[in-house]
Amino acid sequence: METTLHSLYLGFSVALQPANAWYAFLGCLVGTLVGVLPGIGPLAGISILLPVTFGLNATQAIIMLAGIYYGSQYGGSTTSILMRIPGEASSVMTCIDGYAMAKKGRAGAALCIAAVGSWIGGTFGVLVLTVVAPPLATIAVRFGPPEYTALLVLGLIFLAYMSSSSLIRTLLMACLGLLLGMIGIDNMTGHFRYSFDLAELGDGIGIVPVAVGLFGLGEILATPSADAVKEIISPRLRDLLPTRKEWSESALPITRGTVLGFIIGIIPGSAHVISSFLSYAIERRVSKHPEQFGKGAVAGVAGPETANNAASTGAFVPLLALGIPTSPITAVLIGALMIHGVSVGPTLVNEHPDVFWGFVASMYVGNIMLLLLNLPLVSLFVTVLRIPYAYLYPMIIMFCIIGVYEVNNSIVDVWIMLIMGVLGYALRKFDFDPAPLVLGLVISPILEQSLRQSLIMSNGNYLIFFSRPISLGLMAVSIGLLALAAYAFILNRADWRTKLAKVEAGEAET
Amino acid sequence: MTLRADHVAGAFFIGVGLLIIALSGDLPTGTLSMPGSGFMPKIVAGLTIFFGLVLALRANESKVFATLSWSDAKHAALVVAITAAAIALFERLGFLTVNVLMIFALLAVIERRRLVPAAIYSVAVAVTTYVLFVYVLKTPLEPGPFGF
Repeated sequence: METTLHSLYLGFSVALQPANAWYAFLGCLVGTLVGVLPGIGPLAGISILLPVTFGLNATQAIIMLAGIYYGSQYGGSTTSILMRIPGEASSVMTCIDGYAMAKKGRAGAALCIAAVGSWIGGTFGVLVLTVVAPPLATIAVRFGPPEYTALLVLGLIFLAYMSSSSLIRTLLMACLGLLLGMIGIDNMTGHFRYSFDLAELGDGIGIVPVAVGLFGLGEILATPSADAVKEIISPRLRDLLPTRKEWSESALPITRGTVLGFIIGIIPGSAHVISSFLSYAIERRVSKHPEQFGKGAVAGVAGPETANNAASTGAFVPLLALGIPTSPITAVLIGALMIHGVSVGPTLVNEHPDVFWGFVASMYVGNIMLLLLNLPLVSLFVTVLRIPYAYLYPMIIMFCIIGVYEVNNSIVDVWIMLIMGVLGYALRKFDFDPAPLVLGLVISPILEQSLRQSLIMSNGNYLIFFSRPISLGLMAVSIGLLALAAYAFILNRADWRTKLAKVEAGEAET
Repeated sequence: MTLRADHVAGAFFIGVGLLIIALSGDLPTGTLSMPGSGFMPKIVAGLTIFFGLVLALRANESKVFATLSWSDAKHAALVVAITAAAIALFERLGFLTVNVLMIFALLAVIERRRLVPAAIYSVAVAVTTYVLFVYVLKTPLEPGPFGF
């Protein structure tokens, strides 16, 4: 514990250096804007701004990019509550009760509860990360290929199981992502795969063009400007404080959301999205007045908003301790560190303590900055929303092109982004969520390599995954989840995920 | 039989799986104890075909294909066409010229905005971004024949 406190002191001495604090502030501000603006989520935002960090050192780069990530979780609540437009996917659940509260004249209170809940969730996440990540990194050194394979398989199955849309759809998206991840040179044999003699495809398809295309451009293609005009409810500053009753109604949902979000965040998958959906379902189930959900229940805002921030922080645990990306966003963050010559993994704590602890400490600072930013400046962010969408989206397309091109100075990447944009548009038409595709792309090289290494180690014996304690435990959880999903699927029974999807659909229409 | 959205989606994924298997012909599958470069792609392609088949077989739960709304398709096609033109010219004309033209085209052609405000906005946004990236953030952008 003493070592941790000493290391944290080192972290604060790094994070509070004026230049680093400035980049944390800049990241939080840009992140909030990214969250506020519909059509540009945290993944597209981070990808687009990645080239901007090339001139910074590794610590500043990761501090700024992480600030964008958790800042966007804060910002996403603003459009959800004031316009009923989720600024990004994890804010979908906040739309339901947040907008209903705004309609009742409680927009300020909803924003305040969302911001405070986000702060508590985020700060708790950082506290646990501080304590858990270093010892986990020590254990992670003992992780071999079978453990990595089992963990990644669990991540994919968990994502599919938790998805409120459809197991098959999620698995199909993940398969497509895995296939895209296999384009390029095979690391183990040197064979070129599906690169069609294009030298640029030799290194494979990058995450940035795919993510920006699917989420940035795809969203723009599916949103004609005529459809983007929405009524904005503008809160007054003096109405920001919730009443005593609203505070007491939000206390337990915030507590539950914090713990739930962090635990889900650790597991690979689109953690922040899943956590907010699950938190909403739990709050509704435990509430004494479930009939108030959809009509402005405070718990419907406090729980999901807290959970998605706690999950955002929780997602950093496997990133920093194991060096594996658990979401497309953390994959881009790994890419950013690698560009600066820092390899992420169990050795990060010892090899780059200034980066590790500086980053952890910056999250404490960033969460306070976000709380201070989001409440007083809410009117300013609302002003941004008044820019006509017709003027906004050409600018977003320009940033998409810059963001993708600047990573490798490759025009092929920009063409890939355009193709992915069209694919993203088509996927939306057929009710597919593109997030598992990006996750599949991210984990594809690690999964393939660890699976093949495991088989080589065991001389082709699949039982290797069941003969080592950690991988056995992970595989058992995967099989359990698959069995549960298959049970509902074969009997065609509506389990809690299907029911939740129907509730969301029903309430979205009202 | 009524054609449904998931029939089309399922067929698409089956097609993708078959295409991958066809393209993997020259990639060695190897053995279980020494998997080759075609090992994993063939497994995932097989899974894609299987899941695509399940999707198509359970298509009755999905929307009728003819009822899917394509009202935004014209907007999407125009945005794609203008963006594609901008990408094609990006390395020849450079960041500034291409983005001024692209933003102007998006505003004038798709959004039917008045030409003068659209032109002023296009120039202002592209120049501000150029200055921000090149001089403030020190991130060079693709230069054109005139050096910017």
